[in-house]
Amino acid sequence: MKNILLLEDLPEIRSWLKALVGQVFPQAHIAESARVHDARQQITAMRFDLALIDLGLPDGTGVDVVTALREAQPEAQSVVVTIHDDDDHLFPALQAGAFGYLLKEQSRDQLAEQLHRISQGEPPLSPSIARRVIQYFAAQAKPAAPLMPGVTLTERENEVLLRVAKGFTLPEIGVQLGLSRHTIADYVKQIYRKLNVSSRAEAALEAQRLGLFRR
Amino acid sequence: MNRRAFDRGRSACGPLRAFAFLHFLLVALMAPALAAPTPAVTSTVELRDMQTEHGPVRLPDDWSRTRPGFQGVAVYHTVFDAPSAPPGELQAVYLVRVCSNYELRINGRLLERGGSLREPVTRNCYHSQLVTLPEGTLRRGSNEFELRLAGYPLERVAARQRAGGLSEILIGPEDRMRALRDSQVFWNVTVAQIIAATLIVLGVVLLVLAYVRRMSYLAYFAAAAIGWAGLSARLWWRDIALPNDLVELMIWLGFVPVAVCAVLFLVRYAGVRSRKLDAMLWSQCLLAPLTYAMAGPNHLFTLAAVWYTALAAEVFAGIAIYLWQAWRAQRQEFWPMAFIMGAVALVLAAEVGIQDRVIALPNVHVIHFALPIIFCAVAFRLIQTFAHALRTAEEARIHLEARVREISAEIERNFANLAEARVEQIAEKERKRIAADLHDDLGAKLLTIVHTSDNDRISTLAREALEEMRLSVRGLTGKPVRLADALADWRAETVSRLGDAGIEVDWAGNEELAPRTLAARAYVQTTRILREAVSNMIKHSGASRCSVRCSTDEDFQLVIRDNGRGIPLELDGQLDRGHGMSSMKQRAKQLHGQCLVESGPGYGTVIRLTLPL
Repeated sequence: MKNILLLEDLPEIRSWLKALVGQVFPQAHIAESARVHDARQQITAMRFDLALIDLGLPDGTGVDVVTALREAQPEAQSVVVTIHDDDDHLFPALQAGAFGYLLKEQSRDQLAEQLHRISQGEPPLSPSIARRVIQYFAAQAKPAAPLMPGVTLTERENEVLLRVAKGFTLPEIGVQLGLSRHTIADYVKQIYRKLNVSSRAEAALEAQRLGLFRR
Repeated sequence: MNRRAFDRGRSACGPLRAFAFLHFLLVALMAPALAAPTPAVTSTVELRDMQTEHGPVRLPDDWSRTRPGFQGVAVYHTVFDAPSAPPGELQAVYLVRVCSNYELRINGRLLERGGSLREPVTRNCYHSQLVTLPEGTLRRGSNEFELRLAGYPLERVAARQRAGGLSEILIGPEDRMRALRDSQVFWNVTVAQIIAATLIVLGVVLLVLAYVRRMSYLAYFAAAAIGWAGLSARLWWRDIALPNDLVELMIWLGFVPVAVCAVLFLVRYAGVRSRKLDAMLWSQCLLAPLTYAMAGPNHLFTLAAVWYTALAAEVFAGIAIYLWQAWRAQRQEFWPMAFIMGAVALVLAAEVGIQDRVIALPNVHVIHFALPIIFCAVAFRLIQTFAHALRTAEEARIHLEARVREISAEIERNFANLAEARVEQIAEKERKRIAADLHDDLGAKLLTIVHTSDNDRISTLAREALEEMRLSVRGLTGKPVRLADALADWRAETVSRLGDAGIEVDWAGNEELAPRTLAARAYVQTTRILREAVSNMIKHSGASRCSVRCSTDEDFQLVIRDNGRGIPLELDGQLDRGHGMSSMKQRAKQLHGQCLVESGPGYGTVIRLTLPL
């Protein structure tokens, strides 16, 4: 990890997070930012490998930064760092292309462990998020939205989602399906990716439709 | 023909008369011209051969044949033998048709004068006459018969029925003669009067209906019916104080608008609307008097016959148009109307035939009662159709009303739902705002404490406070949670936490749960209880295994059992606060449930949480 963007408006928390990130990625260069506007400028100025993005910011929402980063630097990993643990806040960020989320109040060790896992390609997935993802793809599969380009989940991905939604942890699912921890993590990554692709396609269609109406 | 209805065995009392009517109806409908002679009844004398100033004639005498163009008074003479009659029986002379008026003398004695013999002559053409002979009028043996007849030539009347002429004459018992006369008058006059009255009533009803419903065809029909009823006054109005020429002209001209209305009714009923056609038809009302003015009173009959034929042809055409349309559009209407119209055509054709002298002049005029009956039939059919349409419309209206009621109820319901949803939406928005404020302000501060305090106890407390706050917010903003979803969340968290702490978890019962929901508050409180239990287990129990069972019946039950050392007796109660047992119980109580903790050294701990659903 070379370049890491840290977007957080509270100075104490920002410095605390900076220390944490420095602990997990000792060699990294950390660019700090307290506002959406600054973060956008930094995205255009330099390349990032990882971005830790707070959601509630004084001049907007971190979701916009996730979207901007996803568009400008598709390879960069966005991780949402938030105080909100509910899927109402997290799901839009995941749709925008966030690759995982960290809950701020966790202890330093827990956060370090999770950040490490995410950077290793093992994003977390809670039951409520899994349910939202299932609902989202079920709505896409409905014939009511025939224009939507088909990004569908594979049977295995669905299987994983359903089990997460029922409250099984990822290691448990790995045991149940006879799959390695890495394979399960790959499925979760694919689910996140497809959620983002599908959401972007939907957003593009929506924009196109609005454009048509405006014309 | 009257003799046929009059057999030896019958007496002319009431029931017989009714039978005679029936017989007459049959006879009249089957063949208008029934003049075939039948064997004479012994007690009745029939006078056939007469002497006149123009020489001998044989009755019935039709002036248009025997004295064309004659107008005035003709004198008929004959001598006849009195019919053999038992003493004391009253005798009478029956005159089937005397047109237009007469004066009767027997043996030089004036017995009857039917009215005025001078202009305007009384119009008896449709009225059969009965002259009762006073006792002693007839002599045994030969008697002198003299009849003076005032009438008009065919040329000066508009219908053959009213041209001068005398039918055969019967002399016989008064009761039998009266029966014959009554029957004849009944069919030629009374029936027509009754039907005319009916027609006028019907016509007025239809006219009102036509006015109210704006249905022109009904109006035309009503006009034709009323007009026809008015024209039937010619049958019974005998003394009109107007010269004959004028009366005949009025009768004839009266038929023109009636026929026009009939044709217009048919055409309108067929759905045809044409101003040109209307104008052409109505123009006949002017054209008819114009042709009369050109032809003069001496050609009235010919003119009228031509006009009648033309009007009948127009009616036929109207019938044809109507039937053609009915055949195409309303098949079920076609057959009854075709039947009725066929009858109209038949009657009209017969009448035209009579006027054109193709058919002999009958004594009973079918057209006088057949056509009004047909009018009534058509009126009945029209009213029936109208009533049917009305019923259909009424049904449609009732259906529509029910539908409107249904829809308004639905709209009201929707509106109520909408209002409720709106209130819910506003409340939701407000809750979200409060939640966001809490997160942004209190949350941020607590978070800062969590991560900046050097004191572990303080940062732990702050973290717990943050979690509490978050749960509170969730209880505030959250929607009801499906029980299965709640259990999934709890399971994931519990298994994950205990797993991290190295405690093996056996969680069962999620699958068999009834599809219930949990209020947000209940979800939040249960989450806290469960979290507390898990924290206790990790911190104090030293357990290596834990089992969780959940079930639903009336209530929701969660049983958490570990194999740890249990809660030491001396700690029970005193250190309760630290173990959070009392807060767990308190929370369960708030939800109207209970939380039981069973524990003993060496037995592990069992926590039974029961919540009403």
